[in-house]
Amino acid sequence: MTGSKFSNLIKGLKLFSIFFCIGLFTIGGGYAMIPAMRNIIVQREKYLSEDEFLEMFAISQITPGPIAVNMATFIGYMQGGIICSTLATLGVVLPSLIIITLISIFFLDFTRFTVVQKLFTGILAGIAGEIAYLTFDLAKKIKINLFTGGIFIISLAALFILKINPICVIIIGGAIGIIVKGMLHKDDGH
Amino acid sequence: MMVIKLFLEFFKIGAFTFGGGQAMLPIMQRELVINLNWISMQNFLHFVSIAEVTPGPIAINMATFIGYETQGITGAIFSTAGVVAPSFIIILLIAMAATKFRENRVYQAFMSGVRPVLPALLVNAVYLIVAEGFKGIAPFVLAAVTFFVFARWRKINPVFLLIIAGIAGILFL
Repeated sequence: MTGSKFSNLIKGLKLFSIFFCIGLFTIGGGYAMIPAMRNIIVQREKYLSEDEFLEMFAISQITPGPIAVNMATFIGYMQGGIICSTLATLGVVLPSLIIITLISIFFLDFTRFTVVQKLFTGILAGIAGEIAYLTFDLAKKIKINLFTGGIFIISLAALFILKINPICVIIIGGAIGIIVKGMLHKDDGH
Repeated sequence: MMVIKLFLEFFKIGAFTFGGGQAMLPIMQRELVINLNWISMQNFLHFVSIAEVTPGPIAINMATFIGYETQGITGAIFSTAGVVAPSFIIILLIAMAATKFRENRVYQAFMSGVRPVLPALLVNAVYLIVAEGFKGIAPFVLAAVTFFVFARWRKINPVFLLIIAGIAGILFL
């Protein structure tokens, strides 16, 4: 028991450092860290399979709370129960807590410095490039047919033309999945 | 006792906001600025402008700011814990049940429909970053270079790549 608890603690500390780095570079909303997370969590450390990761990404968005926190909690729990889950969540939260507290203490809004603005714009450009590549890579792996292609086009239209909330778009996609797969399943029976 | 109030107020905000930090801002504004009067509208808007560009989830940045403003470091810790706690508890429950419901047929059908939505959401995320943060041609070039480097050398650490992009930003933007 104590042995497994100890190894969970070691794993937890590793997760803490991974999520601390991820938290530190999440600029411009929760999506910013998705490419880094996928690369580290799925491809490098193999904590989750690609499918599990994508499912978790979807679930993180339709449950309350910041995506980064949801992902950290989930991955932490899967790796080593509540200990790892707490440490991973702490890791993703701490950079914000430290940086914002420092800004508050010193009344120092360093985001006004041109150098910092340029640094952040550069990071943001990097994030855009990484997300674009991730999009491309994921799209490549989805088998394109009427079902997947149709949902993709409907989602784009819903987001860009109808300006529907991403959460609703996810639920609409899921509902289409249940209806279509449900019908196919009935057909199989006959 | 103010710190407990901070915790509970942020717990409420964390529990009822879906869709990440951006969605929390109007609710924070209504509750904390208008109803409870904990901070002024001017300070709130100032915090938002910083929280959006500093690292970390916006919800956590805002909770830390407002907590510090009202009760110092203890306040910052309590309000951040409050905003994180609902997600933490809900996701923990989901994670505990995950092995069971992943085998559920309805869940699998739901996820088969969600999977093609994800690339569309990512396209939207790139669009939002470009629309809000890109001025001139240089950021586009930097984003394109990052894309190709990331595609070509998959072993490169994505966080390291972002540091390089940041340094390139300082030098060329």
